[in-house]
Amino acid sequence: MIWNYFLITASISTTSWGVAAFIHKKEGFRNSLVIAGILSIALFIAFLWIQLERPPLRTLGETRLWYAFFLPIIGFITYWRWRYHWMLYYSLALSLIFLLINYLHPENFSKTLMPALQSPWFVPHVVVYIFAYAFLAASSLVAIRGLYQFYKNKLTPKLMLMADNLVYLGFAFLTLGLLFGALWAKEAWGHYWTWDPKETWAFITWMGYLVYIHFRYQHVSKSKAALWILALAFVILLVCWFGINYLPSAQFSIHTYSKAP
Amino acid sequence: MNKPLWESPWAYMESFLISFGLVLIGFLLEFSIPNHPEVKIVYPLNLILGLCFVALVILLYFLLRKIRIIRFLSGIPASIGAVVAFAALVILMGISPQVPMQGKNIITTLKLNDLTSSWSFLLINLYVLLVLGLVILQKLERFKRRNWGFICSHLGLWITIFTVGLGAGDLQRLRMDLHVNKTEWKAYDGEGKYYEMPLAIHLNHFQIDEFHPKLAVVENSSGKLYEASKPSMIMIEKKLQCKLHQWNVEVSEFYASSGRSGDRYYQMFDYGAAPAAFVKVTTSSSDTLSGWISCGSFNHQHESLKLNRDFSLLMTVPEPRKFSSEVTIFTPDGSKVNQTLEVNKSYSVNGWKIYQLSYDEKMGKYSELSIVELVKDPWQIYVYIGVFLMMIGSVYMFWQGSKLRQKATSMVLSEDL
Ligand code: HEM
Repeated sequence: MIWNYFLITASISTTSWGVAAFIHKKEGFRNSLVIAGILSIALFIAFLWIQLERPPLRTLGETRLWYAFFLPIIGFITYWRWRYHWMLYYSLALSLIFLLINYLHPENFSKTLMPALQSPWFVPHVVVYIFAYAFLAASSLVAIRGLYQFYKNKLTPKLMLMADNLVYLGFAFLTLGLLFGALWAKEAWGHYWTWDPKETWAFITWMGYLVYIHFRYQHVSKSKAALWILALAFVILLVCWFGINYLPSAQFSIHTYSKAP
Repeated sequence: MNKPLWESPWAYMESFLISFGLVLIGFLLEFSIPNHPEVKIVYPLNLILGLCFVALVILLYFLLRKIRIIRFLSGIPASIGAVVAFAALVILMGISPQVPMQGKNIITTLKLNDLTSSWSFLLINLYVLLVLGLVILQKLERFKRRNWGFICSHLGLWITIFTVGLGAGDLQRLRMDLHVNKTEWKAYDGEGKYYEMPLAIHLNHFQIDEFHPKLAVVENSSGKLYEASKPSMIMIEKKLQCKLHQWNVEVSEFYASSGRSGDRYYQMFDYGAAPAAFVKVTTSSSDTLSGWISCGSFNHQHESLKLNRDFSLLMTVPEPRKFSSEVTIFTPDGSKVNQTLEVNKSYSVNGWKIYQLSYDEKMGKYSELSIVELVKDPWQIYVYIGVFLMMIGSVYMFWQGSKLRQKATSMVLSEDL
């Protein structure tokens, strides 16, 4: 039953965004279609939450849903603020890719939630992280765009500012996510940080963006190097998120619930 | 641009040489002083060493700030070098499993399996603290009101790293095995050494709530979970009808607690009672199968339903929803409190924090053993100060965005282009 609703949701979003791209010129109507697509995902998440009787934040597939929800929101806000149409379409496309992955990898929608995760920290910790990753993913799109512009000698200050803004917002959320996680762990298990593989890679990601921020601060004119740092930081972020299960250290992760059956 | 190495002003080359040099020195130390015993620096020595370090940083800054090296150390290139070297160590940690290992090989000699207690990690931490400390002092000396966000994040980070490091020696983590209706006052550490505690715990009752068990199909030959299609496990409910791979399964009876008598199960609540269900299975081609399945318990047989030569339908052992210990805690001053300990709900007494950790998993919900963890961490409050400063810094960052960079970027880039 949950699966059928997912199919309906995915079709609504795909259709409304597809049409939105088509009627690119009629801005008002296009924007309503974009929002309709976002709303349909929101409704599905709410439905899932009620059905599962727990926050749908446990498995990779469930977090992908949240990305599919937050990315277009961030894309829309950035578009609204800086009038970048391409940012809107990129984020919509990325969101559809997440929905597609969920379609190709159906998973169990299981109600069980281990006692360790039943905490008031659970929702803020994961939601803040998802927000951070969505902002940072958006910033890496800007970085790729920026590098393209750079090699065509067309790099604009506006683009660098957009990259900075997205990184600052994403980094603020990422820091909060790490800190929430540490406080939660201390309250629940008595240690802040165990250097578990997932935590380790989250920390490396954090440091990648830390380098970007400081490099930009000092060397405002070295856009090329800054953009490369930003693109590289995103590769680390992807390792943290997808690749972690393939690393030799992963078999010892306590965060294995993310691939629970 | 192409200045010789080590000629001032120092920049990135020098910065990376210093920071990675420290990492290298750390590994060399590991090599030359093998098997050094674990030293725990405990109070008051850690406090004294910590204060010395603070004094050293402050003195370096105020006495030697005219020297180029100190100016270099409080700048961005040194910062980035330190952060990148730290990140490199952490990447090593992310790749190589951090678990105890037997035997002598390159990994154990260089402590690649236990990097957080290696020399390299210590040295790079100290270096980060030195650089970050100088950065903060420099900003504080020329303090402007709009710098408060910067001070919060940097000072917060500094305090956090500093106090976690210093506090590590004073942190005690012990376990206590509580048996129902017994009082315990001894706890043991990782090596199995026992300590008498300034408190005693009497376990009145241990309780586990469970989720319903799930239906799953396993391969008869290997006993492995069959995962041809998802979902591969479905939680059992009364009157459930579902499709599991190619089979249609109907649960017509379900007892969360039952026992077998004759050819069927009845609802029962005796010691060791296990869940059971009566299921009807149909495939598209063949006819209907039916029978009782049960996951069993420590003293009841488990029972599965053979679907065909290759597969069987079974019931998984239920997962715990919640486990908790009702305890009475006594302290030497004669006070006594009743408390319920639960995962994510700890209780503090006499400087110790008590966490519900585990139980006898073989016995499941009939466990008469509850394992709790006792943690004493006198430095926690200082770590929290650092963490909260960093949180304020993050909120500031979120609020301000990169506003401060805007003018500079616009100017520089429009000149360039
Ligand atoms: C929580 C982590 C950190 C955050 C959020 C952060 C953020 C920032 C920000 C936003 C600035 C710009 C300050 C301004 O606008 O005035 C800055 C500057 C700076 N940061 Fe960090 N930083 C962090 C960690 C570090 C670390 C670990 C180091 C060094 C090891 C460092 C060294 C510096 C330096 C040297 C500056 C330049 C200060 C100046 O010359 O005015 N930061 N940082």
